[in-house]
Amino acid sequence: MSLLVGGLSLVVGGQLIYRAVLNEAVSRIRLDLNAAREIYLNREKHINVALNVTKLDEDFKSALINLDVNFLIPRLEDVAHEIDLDFAGIITRSGMTLCRMGSLPGSVKKNELINPIAHLALKLRTMVSGTVVIEQDILLAENPELAERARIQLLPTPRAAPRTEKEETSGMAIASAVPIFEDNRLLGVLYGGILLSRSKEIVDRVRETVFQREIYRGRSIGTATIFFKDLRISTNVFTPEGQRAIGTRVSEEVKDKVLDEGERWTDRAFVVNDWYITAYEPIEDILGRRVGMLYVGVLEAKYVDIRRHALSVFFLITAAGLITAAFLGYILGYRILKPIHQLISVSNKVSQGDLSPEIGPISKSEIGVLQKTFGEMLSSLRERDRRQKAESENRLLQSEKQASVGRLAAGVAHEINNPLTGVLTFTHMLLRRKDIDEEMRSDLETIAHSTERVRKIVKGLLDFSRQTKIEAELTDVNKLIQETIALVENQALVRGVLFCFDPAEGLPLRTLDRSQFQSVLMNIIINAIDATEAGGHINLSTGLSVWTNHVSKKGIEIVVSDTGCGIPPENLDDLFDPFFSTKEVGRGTGLGLSVSLGIVERHGGTIRVQSKVGRGSTFIIWLPLEEKAE
Amino acid sequence: MNILVVDDDQIVLESCKRILESEGFSVTLSPSAKDALKKLDTSEDPNRENLKLLLVDVKMPEYDGLYLMTKVLKKWPDLPIVVMSGYPTQDTISDVVKKGAAYFIAKPFTPDELLRAVNRVIKKEGL
Ligand SMILES: Nc1ncnc2c1ncn2[C@@H]1O[C@H](COP(=O)(O)OP(=O)(O)O)[C@@H](O)[C@H]1O
Ligand SMILES: [Mg+2]
Repeated sequence: MSLLVGGLSLVVGGQLIYRAVLNEAVSRIRLDLNAAREIYLNREKHINVALNVTKLDEDFKSALINLDVNFLIPRLEDVAHEIDLDFAGIITRSGMTLCRMGSLPGSVKKNELINPIAHLALKLRTMVSGTVVIEQDILLAENPELAERARIQLLPTPRAAPRTEKEETSGMAIASAVPIFEDNRLLGVLYGGILLSRSKEIVDRVRETVFQREIYRGRSIGTATIFFKDLRISTNVFTPEGQRAIGTRVSEEVKDKVLDEGERWTDRAFVVNDWYITAYEPIEDILGRRVGMLYVGVLEAKYVDIRRHALSVFFLITAAGLITAAFLGYILGYRILKPIHQLISVSNKVSQGDLSPEIGPISKSEIGVLQKTFGEMLSSLRERDRRQKAESENRLLQSEKQASVGRLAAGVAHEINNPLTGVLTFTHMLLRRKDIDEEMRSDLETIAHSTERVRKIVKGLLDFSRQTKIEAELTDVNKLIQETIALVENQALVRGVLFCFDPAEGLPLRTLDRSQFQSVLMNIIINAIDATEAGGHINLSTGLSVWTNHVSKKGIEIVVSDTGCGIPPENLDDLFDPFFSTKEVGRGTGLGLSVSLGIVERHGGTIRVQSKVGRGSTFIIWLPLEEKAE
Repeated sequence: MNILVVDDDQIVLESCKRILESEGFSVTLSPSAKDALKKLDTSEDPNRENLKLLLVDVKMPEYDGLYLMTKVLKKWPDLPIVVMSGYPTQDTISDVVKKGAAYFIAKPFTPDELLRAVNRVIKKEGL
């Protein structure tokens, strides 16, 4: 058993350590790549600053105004020497090369192409610096040696993307070009740069500063490369023969990700002849094209060793741990088991309804966490218990309120109905007379209508106060809904509202008070019609559902959804209060829902509402199925 | 054709009288159950023979309409009785119908509604 655990933990632990080491290596290589980029960009800035300083020199400027090539060329060469430029030159404002470093005065031929970075600076009339691709004929013009350096044979590389050409003739350079002005007048452009092809400068500086020449088994751990497209043009990755691996290419996978998609890449990778933890990022030229990549990588072998070392330490620790654990387990078993036993007896108490049992002293070990969690669970149980009590008290209060309103309503209704009979009678008797003029007739009709309204209100009050027992009979709810729809369909049609009823099949029959229940449906449907504009829909459906906040009882659900105006959230609480109505005086009594809820509750059910202003409302009537023993 | 109307509220009595007389019924009014019983017992009442229908309110002080109904039906089981009430709960309605009322009408009513009720009962009784 112990052996199994030990072996398992070794496998798992080994994996974990391997991951940890790899993660560490990958996040380190990312930082290294950032540092390498800084070095690259610094070189660019360096050139730019030097050129800017040069152009400010008054002698230089006046020589340029006078096109004094004999003065300018030595100056160019001074600057180039100072900051190790491979090429430098001056372009006139008409776009001709005036002179170059390393060339004799007057050696510039007509129609010679000008360096692309100078061309861009001239066009934009602003300084430009960055990476630039220079084609062979321009390199030749700058300095034939440069053209020779840039020519790189493509070496066959496994896993590289296919390329048709055998040789790369263009070069990639870091360069800068600064326009020179005299009183806002453009005099020309001073430019200069270094050719990266076959250069050791930047990559070796990265190796020295970032990786500090760390050596592992005779090899440098850190490597850096500058790619032109997918081609290594400047690198300190070495071939097995001990040559810089210039001319080899990157794998197609990396090329797709970095060069084509412009993303960073960090992972293990096989570089030239060894496994490295690598990071690549694209290099963009002054025109924003991705023309190359910057790479740094460290030998994975170093990390493999670290891992091996960690694993053996881990193995020792595990073994020692196992022995200690067996020993301690024997001693501690009792201390851990005791609180567990206590928890078990506590949960027994809880299941018997005691929500505040003594959990016992909180242990300091893992068990303590369990005890605490258990304690929290208990307090949330208590909280829920308290909330449920509050809720049922609330409900009690609500029904108390309804009952007293009901008694009041009944009294009032009864008192009003007698005089109302008088008003109705004599108004109508007067209306029967033939000898009254139009005006009087219309006045009388107004009285009749108003009285009709009063009658409706009083009837609503009475409905509301009706505390009758339920006259239950076995009812098919679907059929009852169908009948109710038939009663209100005309009313809906007039308003341009369509019904859609989707009855559930196999819905069990239920005993309920048909007429009362019909008035519930009627109320809710008429409310929905009232809320819905022409073109709207009212969807009704039935189904079986389990109402979880009702002790998980199975019941019949009747859903009435409309696409009407919706109910603002602040009204949701008042909806079922007697006399709550948002309808204009005379249209709504505010009793419909309160009566309906009373009826449904007397059937053991509830009504739930969901609504979104502007989207519509859904009223869900839920009726529990009766238990068999009744 | 005579109709006896019993209600404790004067305005209801007057309303019924006005409506029923407009249709040619002769109407006797009575403000309480006690008074109504007395009127019915007095055999010399010239209208007694012609009494075709009793229209009675449920809720009245002292003796209510149900009491009156039972008393009357015991003596004249064939007399059609229409019960009216301003508080028509399901309970009262079924109670009233069980006790032998021919019809139930809720207050308030329009003249048409009352006449429809009365005429229906009279027709049904074949009178
Ligand atoms: N389907 C619905 N859509 C929007 N509002 C509704 C809907 N049903 C009910 N209501 C709101 O609830 C209020 C109360 O309804 P109810 O109790 O039936 O009284 P009433 O219909 O007489 O106003 C209504 O005035 C209305 O504001
Ligand atoms: Mg309503």
